[in-house]
Amino acid sequence: MKITFVKKIKSDGKPCQKCAEVQTRLEQEGFINKISRTVIADERDPDSEGMQLARQYTVDRAPFFIVEEEGSEAKIYTVYFKFVKEVLNKEASEKDTAKDLMDNNPDLDFL
Amino acid sequence: MSKTEFNPRQAALEFDSETPESIIKLALENFDNIAISFSGAEDVVLIDMATRINPDVDVFSLDTGRLHAETYQFIENVREHYNLDIDILFPDSESVQELVRNKGLYSFYKDGHQECCSIRKVIPLRRKLLSLDAWITGQRKDQSPGTRNTVPVVENDSAFSTADKKLIKFNPLSNWSSARVWEYIRNNNVPYNPLHEKGYISIGCEPCTRPVLPNQHEREGRWWWEEATKKECGLHAGNLDK
Repeated sequence: MKITFVKKIKSDGKPCQKCAEVQTRLEQEGFINKISRTVIADERDPDSEGMQLARQYTVDRAPFFIVEEEGSEAKIYTVYFKFVKEVLNKEASEKDTAKDLMDNNPDLDFL
Repeated sequence: MSKTEFNPRQAALEFDSETPESIIKLALENFDNIAISFSGAEDVVLIDMATRINPDVDVFSLDTGRLHAETYQFIENVREHYNLDIDILFPDSESVQELVRNKGLYSFYKDGHQECCSIRKVIPLRRKLLSLDAWITGQRKDQSPGTRNTVPVVENDSAFSTADKKLIKFNPLSNWSSARVWEYIRNNNVPYNPLHEKGYISIGCEPCTRPVLPNQHEREGRWWWEEATKKECGLHAGNLDK
């Protein structure tokens, strides 16, 4: 299995905070060595590899994971807890799950 | 489980032009294990409509511990007015204690509202939704034009569905404007939160909600101090379109 972690550099040149948080979680939870490659989507450069991958897989969020296995279509994960659960077979904590839910559903807190 | 095989995409197409009452009827006819999410604001119209169909409809509400006194009183008024058992959901006390111990009572003004909302709102909501097959919300397209302009009247809830269990979400008010909701409230003598008389449109927790001025969007009354950072996760569309 090949896992590509795509993280973003924002148009002002600063790293994306969410991407940094996900990287920290990968490291703290001991999953960083499961990542085959880390690729940058630089918003200042549409031809950066990460931006090309985002176009190829029609992803409009960052960070995201591309999971490739021989004989199967690549799977894209934009939600960390789903990636961890489905690919790495580990349940995320309730707190982390809630955080991911909010990050990926901007109207949830509006309920 | 739905009583029969339910196709949310097809239902959304068929019911997009239907009245909220018809959409609620569709929901209640197709699901037994279903509940209305009541925020203590103008979504009270869902309760008014649903109790005309089923007086014992299930309703739940999230008590974050930080609501306005007026909202607590209003929830109680609704309970009595409709003779309903409203299931009040509370956050996990240890999580709240840990947050407050580490960051104080107003951490959201410093590092954003997400952590507090996660603990006080999203986790209790998720626990509740894991027990349901479907839920009914007051979400409307006009509430947040940037993100809600595609709210279908029925949908597969991709946020709270799990690999093992599908959750259906009904948004009967999706196509109604705020003005239309208030027309219904006035015409039907529906009780409403007295905060609306003080200039509040969208009502959430007390520290994170403020009244808005005429012609300000209701979203401007919520988390007004952190607008600049809200859309950081998006990848710039212009670049993607290249």
